[in-house]
This record gives sequence, C-alpha cells and structure tokens, in this order.
Amino acid sequence: MQRRTVLKGGASLIGAGSLPTIARAQAPKSIRIGYAVALSGPYAPGAQSTTWSQYKLWAKDVNDAGGIMLKKYGAKVPVELIDYDDRSQIEEAIRLVERLILNDKVDLVLAPWGTATNLATAPVFNKYEYPVIHFTASADRVAQLGPRWPYSFWALVQPKPATAPLATMVKKLTTEGKIKGRVAIMHVADQLGVEMAAAMQEACKKEGVEIVYFKSYPLGASDLSPQIREMMALNPDAFFAFSYPSDTFMVTEQSHVLGFSPPIYYTGVGTPFPAYAAKFGAKKNGVLIYGAVDSTAPGQKEYRERHKAMYNRDVEIGSIGTYATMQILQKAIEQVGEIDRKKIRDAIAGGTFETIADVYSFKGQLHQNAWAVGQWQGDEVVAVYPENKRGAKPLMFPKPKW
Amino acid sequence: MILFEVVLSGVLVGGMYGLIALGLNLQYGIARMMNLAYGEALMGGAYTAFWFFMLWRIDPLASMLFSVPVAFCGNWLIYRYLLSPLIRRAANQEILEADTILVTFGLLFVFQGLALVQWGGEYRGYTYLAVPIDLLGATVALNRLMAFVAAVVLALALYWLLRSTRLGGALRAIAIDPVAAQLVAVDVPRLSALAFAAGGAIMAAAGTLVSMFLSFNASIGIVYTLKALIVVIMGGVGRMLGCLMAGLLLGLAEALGAYLVDPGLTLAINFALFLLVLLVRPQGLFSRG
Repeated sequence: MQRRTVLKGGASLIGAGSLPTIARAQAPKSIRIGYAVALSGPYAPGAQSTTWSQYKLWAKDVNDAGGIMLKKYGAKVPVELIDYDDRSQIEEAIRLVERLILNDKVDLVLAPWGTATNLATAPVFNKYEYPVIHFTASADRVAQLGPRWPYSFWALVQPKPATAPLATMVKKLTTEGKIKGRVAIMHVADQLGVEMAAAMQEACKKEGVEIVYFKSYPLGASDLSPQIREMMALNPDAFFAFSYPSDTFMVTEQSHVLGFSPPIYYTGVGTPFPAYAAKFGAKKNGVLIYGAVDSTAPGQKEYRERHKAMYNRDVEIGSIGTYATMQILQKAIEQVGEIDRKKIRDAIAGGTFETIADVYSFKGQLHQNAWAVGQWQGDEVVAVYPENKRGAKPLMFPKPKW
Repeated sequence: MILFEVVLSGVLVGGMYGLIALGLNLQYGIARMMNLAYGEALMGGAYTAFWFFMLWRIDPLASMLFSVPVAFCGNWLIYRYLLSPLIRRAANQEILEADTILVTFGLLFVFQGLALVQWGGEYRGYTYLAVPIDLLGATVALNRLMAFVAAVVLALALYWLLRSTRLGGALRAIAIDPVAAQLVAVDVPRLSALAFAAGGAIMAAAGTLVSMFLSFNASIGIVYTLKALIVVIMGGVGRMLGCLMAGLLLGLAEALGAYLVDPGLTLAINFALFLLVLLVRPQGLFSRG
C-alpha cells in the first residue's frame, strides 16, 4: 500500500516536473499555410498583383517579427507558405485545395483569386472546416450561403451595398437641382458586371431614379465608342460602368477622345490601379471607383512603404484589402493562441478587427458596412461612401471636365 | 449621323483585326507553321513601346526601330532552330502541324512566364495620340486611325509583293507546294524562314500600334493569336487582301451588331459569322481554291 503511494507520488512528481517542458517542446516548428492562386493563364495578372503578392508580403512581415505568438506554447512561431498555381482553372483550384488539406496537411488555407474561383472552392474549405476570409469575391448569393458555409467569411463589399449609395447619391443631387438625374449604365457581360448592374438597376428603381441607357458588352471588347456615342445622344449626367480593368481603361480613354464627360463618372475594377493613374494623369480627378479603403487607417502608410520596397511599385486598394484579411487571420490566431480551426473560426466570427484597410466585423460571415465607393481626388484614392464611416471624405462634385 | 459614326468605328476596329492577322497569314499561309506563340510578338512590341515611353520618353513609333528587328531576328531563330528540325523529321504535313502546334504552345508559356516574372501581371497602358480627329464630320481617335492606315498599307504592300515580284512568286510557290517549289530551284528553307520572321516582325509592329489605345498585360498574347486565327481562316489562308477584308467584315459586324441589336451580342455575332463562313466557304471568303 505504502509502496504504491510512493510509486504514485513518484509518477505524479515526474509527470508534474516534465509537464511544462513537454508543452514548450510541442510548439510547432512552423505554421503551415497553403493556397492555390493563378500564377499563369488569364487570371494571373489580377491574382499576382492583388492576392499572391500580399500573401508573400504578409509572410515576410510576420517572419521578420519572429512569427505569430501562440499563447499555448508561449512562443512565436514562424509561418511557412505552401503555394500552388491553379493555372486560372477552377477545377484545378478545387483539386489543389483538397491536396493542400489532405496530402500536405496544412494548418490553414488562404483564399484563391476571383469571384468564380472563390465560390467554387468555398464548399471544399467548409467540408474540411478550414476558416477562410475571401476577399476578391463579390456576389449577392453569398449572403444566403452564410449558414451553409460557416467557415467562409466575405470581406469585400457585395453588389447590393456597393450600388445602393450610388443611387442615393444621384437621387440627392437631383433633388438639390444639381443634375437632371439621367443615369446611363453599361456593364461587362461577366458575373460581377451582371450582378452589379442588376443591383444598381434595382437601387435606382427604389430611389425613383431614371435610367436612360442600360446595356452590356462582352468581356474582351476592343471598341466601346459606338456605345459611348449612343449614350452621348441620350445626354445622361451620371455614368456608371461596371467594368473590368481592360475595358475600364478603354472606356475612359474613348470618353476623353469623344468628349463624353458627365459630372458623375464611375468605372469598375481597374480604376484605382497605379497603371490607371500613370495613364490618365490629372484627368483621373473626380472619377468614382468601385470599393475603397480608409486611407487614414493606422499602419497603412508603413505598409505602402514595405510594399514599395518589396515590389518596387505602388499599391492598389484591392491589395490593401487582401493584406487586411491576413491581419484579421493573424489576430484571430493570436487570440486563440493555438492552431484550432474551430476556435479560429469563432474568433473571426465574433471579433472586431482594426486593419490597414478598414475596421472589420462580420455578421452572418459578411463584413458589415463595408466601403462601397471611392473617388480619385487629386492623386489620392479616397473613400466616399458609406459616408458615416471613419475616414470618409465628402464627394467631389461635379467631376471636372476632362 | 450616329450610324455613320458607328460604321466608321467598326471599320477602324476591323482594320486592327486585319493588321494583327497579316503576320499570322505569312507564318501559316506561306511558311506553313501554325504558331500559337504568334501573339507573344504583339505582347513584346507593346511592352517595348510602353517601357521606352515610360522610362525614357521615347516615342512609341520610334520604339518600333528596336522591337521590329528584334522580333524579326527572334522569329527567324525560332524557325531555324526550333521548327526546322521538326520539318526534317516529320513524315507528312499532318504530323508536322501537330508537332509545331505542341512546340509553339510550349513557347507561348515560356514567353508569357518570362514576361510575368520580369514585369509582373498588372495591366499596362499609356496615353499617346489619343486626340480626336475630325473625319468626314465624325470624331475618331488618331491612334486608332493610325493602326487602320498601317493595316491597309501593309496589306496592299504584301499583296503587291506576292503578286508582282520574283520573291513573291517564290513565296507563293512555297505556299502551294513546298516540295515542288524545291524542284524549280526555290530555296524553300531560307524563304520560309524569311516569311516566318517577317510575320513576327509585323506582329511586333501591330503590338506597338495596339498598345497606344488598348491596355495589355503579360498574358494578352493568346487573345490576339486566336483573333488573328479567325480572321486568317475567314479571309483565306495566304490571302493578304482577303485577310484585311475579313477583318473589316468582323469589325463592321461587331459595331453594327452592338448598335442595332445589343452590345452584349458582339462576341456571338463574331462567332456566328465565323461559323457561317466555315459552313459555306470553308476555304475562306477570298480564296480561289
């Protein structure tokens, strides 16, 4: 009996003595984070500048600081990226995400690039219960998918909240007698363009705003001047193009040439790109933009400098937003203090996160009150709507003539 | 009035389609090489114009003095060292065609990858000669007008070269039957290489002109290769004026379709026209064969 107690005591002593050492030793060598984005094919340009570059920059920033603090082990753990090229193919993206989870057994995964790819891979992330913050995805459908995909978070402004402030703006300017309120809408015949245009149409209807032109054009169109001429004949004073980069550039240049310069001029993806600023110079002043970031957010200035040092080029707001999603993930991990995906998911769902782009909080996994509309004012992209947010600047009206 | 302006923009776009197809017509129609990396010459010409303009303020037109000879030599080297061995070992034209498609498909990724690594993936564009010109009462952009004029001049020059010169006669002989051409003392390997290299050089020039009014990035080449292929097949393989005409037809159909029916249908109209030609005149609209 006594011997037994001694043995027990000894065992527990040994156990107690070794416990902390075991726990410390168990801190993983690295946090392994995998992703598949397009590094070749038609999605590569967007994916490289908006997504891939930000993952790399974030990993460098984290590791330069010694890693992510995991409270459970009382140690900072560096991150290790495992990256694949999905070659702009959605089936390939799905296969690679499964491979990351099942073969490479990564700790966490990151979102791919583009609305279609994000929507297609989301079921996989949710099947294996990996929390993912999607950034380059905008579709009204995700609001309904929330309950089915509890591990997917959507950080970008979605079509309805992105267009509602535009219709309100036109309504307000019309009531004030500043414009006649004749709206012309054109959009690229691709998912984002279609959804944005449909949401805008609905918003205009709700506000009682008159739409005088509403037409689509195909992706990869090489001339939009016939459409611009047709619009000019209708004399609109608010123009909205839900466009992709190459058509954003084209419609802007052709508007310059043809002298189409309504006081409200809005273009879609590509408008805030550094290449746009380089091409159009002072003419960009006053052009409205799809999406925005809070240019006064803490840390953004330093981030821009680090970005410039790493890539030797200026940054666009999509990159800032993508980097912000990494900050959210990092903060959620630090809050949980270990790699427990369920707990990380709950931390993202319940938290409020100050980032370099915006203050994020999710409801039904959707970022609430996201930035919807920005504007070129001088040489800076400023956030305009929603106007009640921190960092919002007043609308510049009218846009100066080209 | 709007209708006239729409027709005019259609003609200008059509000229650009003709321009990008002329080089492929030389490569595929004369040198008999289906070059899927064809559009990469356009990408190269566009980047050259962009960087020369951005870094050193060199006029994009002047940048052609650099990009066109480089494209010529590059394409000549590709023909000489990558494609000629395939010709030597191929048992017949079908095998040769399959081999060249595979090799040039690989080349396409090599060039695209190099451009991605070197210049990143973002869209590039600059503003040059984006000034309104009054043409018969309608407004057009000078840079687009210039691409159109270049297309017409080049197409006429090539037509004249192929029709009325000794060199052109030899080139046409190769296009019709390379084996028989050899029998009548035509230096087939040398002249084929010449046609292939000239095709690449034309595409580089087209790249310079197109970059003045359309934005581009590292993966833009294949888009233009496919467009050029449609135009070449529609116009008739080896027919230079046919190529220009087919380009104009496509441009006009796009512009009129966009204005009269719906802009969203331009792509559909394009392909419907292409299908129609394939069904009714599979040898090409302007081919006598």
